[in-house]
Amino acid sequence: MNPNRLPVRPGEVIDRETSLAFTWNGRPHTGHRGDTIASALAADGVDVFARSMKYKRRRGIMTADHWDPNLFVQVGDEPNVRAGSRRLVAGMEVSAQNVWPNLRFDIGAANQLVGRFLSSGFYYKTFMRPKWLWHHLYQKVLRKFAPGGRIHWETSTHGAYDKRYAHPDVLVAGGGPAGMGAAIAAAEAGASVMLVEHEPDLGGHLRWGDADDLAVLADLAAAVESHPGIEVLVDSTVTGRYDHNWIAVMQRSHEIAPERLIKARAGSLVVAPGLIERPYVFAGNDTPGVMLSGAVRRLINLWAVRPGTRAVVLSANPEGDAAIADLEAAGVEIVAALDARAGEDIVEVEGRGRVGNVVLGDGRTVSADLVVIGTGWTAPTSLLNMAGDRPVYDPTAARYFPNQLPDDVLATGGITGNGTTAELVEHGRATGTLAANRALRNRHDRRSSTARARSPEGPIPESLHDTRASLARTPHPECYRSSSHGMVDFSEDVSSKDLVQASREGFDSIELMKRYTTVTMGPSQGKLETVNAAAVLAETRSMDMVDIGTTVWRPPFAPISLGALAGRIFEPIRRSALQDWHEDHGASPLLAGQWVRPDHYGDPVAEARNVRENVGIIDVTPLGKLDLRGPDVTKLLELVYVNRWQKLDVGRVRYGTMVAEDGVVSDDGVTGRLGEDHYLMTTTSSGAGAIWEMLEDYLQTYRPDWNVHVTAVTGGLTSINVAGPRCRELLLRLVEGVDLSPDAFPYFHVRRGTVAGVPDCIIWRIGFTGELSYEVHVPSGHALHVWESLLANGEDLGIMPFGVESQRILRLEKGHYIVGQDTDGLTKAPSAGLGGLVKLDKPDTLGLPELRAAYARTDLPILVAIQTDDPEVVPMEADQIVDGDSNRILGRITSSRMSPTLGRSVCLGQVDPSLAAAGSKVTILLIDGRRILGTVQEHHAHVDPEGVRQNA
Amino acid sequence: MARHGYKYSAGKLIRHGLTRGDWPRMWRRPEARSSYDVVIIGGGLHGLATAYYLAHNHGMTNIAVVDKGYLGGGGSGRNTAIVRSNYLTPEGVAFYDRSLDLYNSMAQDLNLNVMFSRRGHLTLAHTDSALRTMHWRAEVNKLQGIDSSVIDPQEVKKQAPSLDVSADTRYPILGALFHPPGGIVRHDAVVWGYARAADHLGVHMLQETEVLDILCEGGEGPDGKGAGGRVTGVRTSRGDISAPAVVNCTAGWASLISNMAGVPLPITTHPLQAAVTEPCKVFLPTVVVSGSLHVYVSQTDRGELVFGASVDPVGTYRVNGTLEFTEELAGHVLELMPGISKMRLLRQWSGLCDMTPDYSPVMGTTQVDGYFVDVGWGTYGFKAGPVAGETMAETIATGRDADLIAPFTISRFTEGDLVGEKGAAAVGH
Repeated sequence: MNPNRLPVRPGEVIDRETSLAFTWNGRPHTGHRGDTIASALAADGVDVFARSMKYKRRRGIMTADHWDPNLFVQVGDEPNVRAGSRRLVAGMEVSAQNVWPNLRFDIGAANQLVGRFLSSGFYYKTFMRPKWLWHHLYQKVLRKFAPGGRIHWETSTHGAYDKRYAHPDVLVAGGGPAGMGAAIAAAEAGASVMLVEHEPDLGGHLRWGDADDLAVLADLAAAVESHPGIEVLVDSTVTGRYDHNWIAVMQRSHEIAPERLIKARAGSLVVAPGLIERPYVFAGNDTPGVMLSGAVRRLINLWAVRPGTRAVVLSANPEGDAAIADLEAAGVEIVAALDARAGEDIVEVEGRGRVGNVVLGDGRTVSADLVVIGTGWTAPTSLLNMAGDRPVYDPTAARYFPNQLPDDVLATGGITGNGTTAELVEHGRATGTLAANRALRNRHDRRSSTARARSPEGPIPESLHDTRASLARTPHPECYRSSSHGMVDFSEDVSSKDLVQASREGFDSIELMKRYTTVTMGPSQGKLETVNAAAVLAETRSMDMVDIGTTVWRPPFAPISLGALAGRIFEPIRRSALQDWHEDHGASPLLAGQWVRPDHYGDPVAEARNVRENVGIIDVTPLGKLDLRGPDVTKLLELVYVNRWQKLDVGRVRYGTMVAEDGVVSDDGVTGRLGEDHYLMTTTSSGAGAIWEMLEDYLQTYRPDWNVHVTAVTGGLTSINVAGPRCRELLLRLVEGVDLSPDAFPYFHVRRGTVAGVPDCIIWRIGFTGELSYEVHVPSGHALHVWESLLANGEDLGIMPFGVESQRILRLEKGHYIVGQDTDGLTKAPSAGLGGLVKLDKPDTLGLPELRAAYARTDLPILVAIQTDDPEVVPMEADQIVDGDSNRILGRITSSRMSPTLGRSVCLGQVDPSLAAAGSKVTILLIDGRRILGTVQEHHAHVDPEGVRQNA
Repeated sequence: MARHGYKYSAGKLIRHGLTRGDWPRMWRRPEARSSYDVVIIGGGLHGLATAYYLAHNHGMTNIAVVDKGYLGGGGSGRNTAIVRSNYLTPEGVAFYDRSLDLYNSMAQDLNLNVMFSRRGHLTLAHTDSALRTMHWRAEVNKLQGIDSSVIDPQEVKKQAPSLDVSADTRYPILGALFHPPGGIVRHDAVVWGYARAADHLGVHMLQETEVLDILCEGGEGPDGKGAGGRVTGVRTSRGDISAPAVVNCTAGWASLISNMAGVPLPITTHPLQAAVTEPCKVFLPTVVVSGSLHVYVSQTDRGELVFGASVDPVGTYRVNGTLEFTEELAGHVLELMPGISKMRLLRQWSGLCDMTPDYSPVMGTTQVDGYFVDVGWGTYGFKAGPVAGETMAETIATGRDADLIAPFTISRFTEGDLVGEKGAAAVGH
């Protein structure tokens, strides 16, 4: 049991009273609460955790934290789990991923034997002939080598990952000494603070430090925890900084969700992520047993795991030196302690499953099972990049530093310089004070200068100057590569030799090199490898690191699960106030855009017939409805519709068509003038949202001088169309205050009145079905009452509700087109047969130049009514109209139905102008390959072209 | 074909492996000459393809391709690398089908494996109106000889098993347009293939050279720019270069560059965002597009899911990207494939799209003699790159707009003859 577990360490985070059983590749193991998957396995003597992507080389612990590229494992149905940071849970089924047949023996390791032929980008240079083999064989083999774990899409389900919004004055990214100092000082200054720490506990590098470090940590953590103004989130990562300090925080191991996205609007962002230790490039640097100094210190001090027995240490800094002390305390023999500052070096590590021999810079070869590297740091400047900063390389300190930050982003801690713990805390405190001051000034400003201002909370805080003493930039040797070549990108299996080759082939800028070799493109996203890659390029091109630049860090800083990003999508299906009634009465649901609607109530043909013979009612609430008020509404209508609006009297309704800037028909609907400065505009159901946005866009950007107020009332008004020869008789029983006689209330007029006792309903006379019909817009709270009253009072008149399908039949019989069905993204206004509706002499209308040009053309297709010569055949909508027996396209059927009124099939279609004349014969190619003949009709309307019925 | 270049093959790979010898440069870093016959601004796919076809098809080799950054750093390296030819209009079909042909033989033509993966392309229909549009496209495509058909949900499930085709979802999948020849290409390799082949034919690639001005004479505007004038060269960050022909292939920056010649373009620049996940073992064999959900997704040979969406509604040159994009994207992807919620988003980025009012490119000659444009490609420049290069080369070499691009010339904006592939292009990738 746990052969590598050390006696109790002072700072250890494991609970030795617990024993958590789990499996690794099917074999039983145990660990303690507080262990990571990796620490538990390392304690049990496991050296090899994974195989590398391309060459399938054995890989072991390198950084022992979240960024460790060698510790990606599969846990149950979850792929790519970071064993370096994932806490152990009893019952976990952990396995190596991307190995075949197993971790111990992987066939793919044969790639190492032919590795010399598989240099970077080798696949671009071969597999080209014969051509068919690429498709049928080569590509399939390459795809087998795709790295990563297995996604179990068959059994996994999308969990409920709820999101949270937060509005801290100061958000601190990083809970090390500087970050904690910043949080405390900001809270003391009166700011609300959110402190986000990536690891499961606060403390940063103090956690694996000495007794003094632990004492300071205890004090700081106590101060943080006890301050009511600080919310601490551990095991959480700030993954992105977007405009105006919109901050994404990923909270892991939350009690109710595996991951939770917190979206925070922070007044100030303090970036205090510390430093990430950088690997060193030499031959065999990816052999299991080669670890960074931070890894061995974490293993020993946090989890009491002995990382090896005989160690060679290469150190260039105090942290590396501290690792030697920790190793000695853990009983590890130091075979060689090499000082990189004095030019000592490691050239090569030999060994397969574990370090065996180490070739030193002085030519000696020593035997060891552990190589510890402490050769420098990478500044994780990701959040600073996202804030627009371009960090600059400092050769003296051998790392990048922040350059220019916006006022609401401040950096502190190791990312800005070196110092004692006290100096780091002090710099953090000064940064926190400054961050709080800026945030509080901003908050004061916002609250006292916006329209909904509360009374200001006293005077605005005095602006503080940035008087922080900079942290020192301690000189550090530039240790990137030994005299040998080794791995640079561990997740992508890209070596320094690959980078040199790429540079010589012409990929000699950092971005081109990245794209060719895939260096920095793997899950590490550059955190470990980007600086080494830049260093190799600088070396190859004999340039300064400063001039090389780096690849751009982009969000997220740490990968985020799709489930957490998605949350529960807020795209509810819209239901009219009557939808429950429809469903209770057997309506068959139809998803139409955002809405669910009754397609029919059992027999659409009977419903359609009943409208022609008696009276029917249909719920047309999804029609977009915009309430327009103000003295300039007419100008707006003139701008967006192709027809005229100036002479629309109060009480009248007019049909309007819109075109986009390219002259293509984009929407239509009727608009009624309810009062001098008051209109109700309707749009297509699918266009409702877009037209509203478009009107606002024009009013806010193009004509802000126009006084128009737009209110969307689509859901607020329930719209009921009452249609059929007996509909007037029905409404006479229910409507008060409106004279419904044909002379007093003719076609295309609007009135306001009381319907079934509900006052202020809007009633207009229009007709999509071709019958006498009234559309009643009822405040939705009363919709059900009005609907049921209509049904109750119409019983003796033969009333029936009808659905979308019957409406489609009826409108097609009447020849009314539907924008988006009978017109399309290419249909310009003349094609739709708008004729005299379009006024080309208006001063300004959307798409006017295009309309003028379109009307000068003679080659545009024309929308016509078509009847098949065989009345029984109903062509499919989208069937093509062709030129006789050829494949030349001359049009298509856009709508088709069997007409119950005529007892034959009826169609609308777009045809070439040569076929548009009444009586023209067209050839329709059916989907089954048959070609049938049809005849173009004189009118769009198959039924009642004179409009006798609707004008009754 | 790049005949006198250094030829890649399996044999060469073995020889280099054995000798550990260096590979030759794919392209040189030449010193700029003081004059060229043609200067192409923009070292992306369109600029490089134009250079290659000028050299290869028309024997013009005294050409410079000038880029302010590195080759393929703009849209060419930021797109989601999908190609297809199932467009809606016969013109669109003809154009993109030629492009697909060129992609099909590109590895052999350019002697560089661009890894064209002809894996099939599904455009999902979630509403009956979308399904009707799919039927329309399929019928048009069939008559044009394009392999394209409407398939039902069960067949969709066969093509992409991880899709949820059950009926009780928020956006049920009612069917799809299936286009077997569509697929993905390694976009960077296409750039490198053209660059290498053009270099072998003598073309100069001048990287890290920013064009500051286009030099003109005789035009009606200031400094001899504008209508009626002619081009004399370009001013760059590395000095002036004279040339009788200058080509604008700068996508997102097209209108800014064009202003330098006094030729304003009706183009607004919008970012289009994309994202990629961590790799997982391959499970998604086809390209999946959902217009209703504004998402397209494919899985690379490296196991990553690559996602794209529609352009951002507000014009800007910024490429920062937004959190909301990733949230909506993830939400919609999980609507389609709820079982992959544990995959992690690795990286998001944006590219700049040059959008025209009719969603169609602006190509060919302009009112300034010697100044050519190949811009306005918006969201689908990658698909069109090869055929755009081929037709632009013909246009430049002959001085006359090639037949295939005649509908796309700049004059349509004054003559009111907009094209409109919107019906097809807006559906996505």
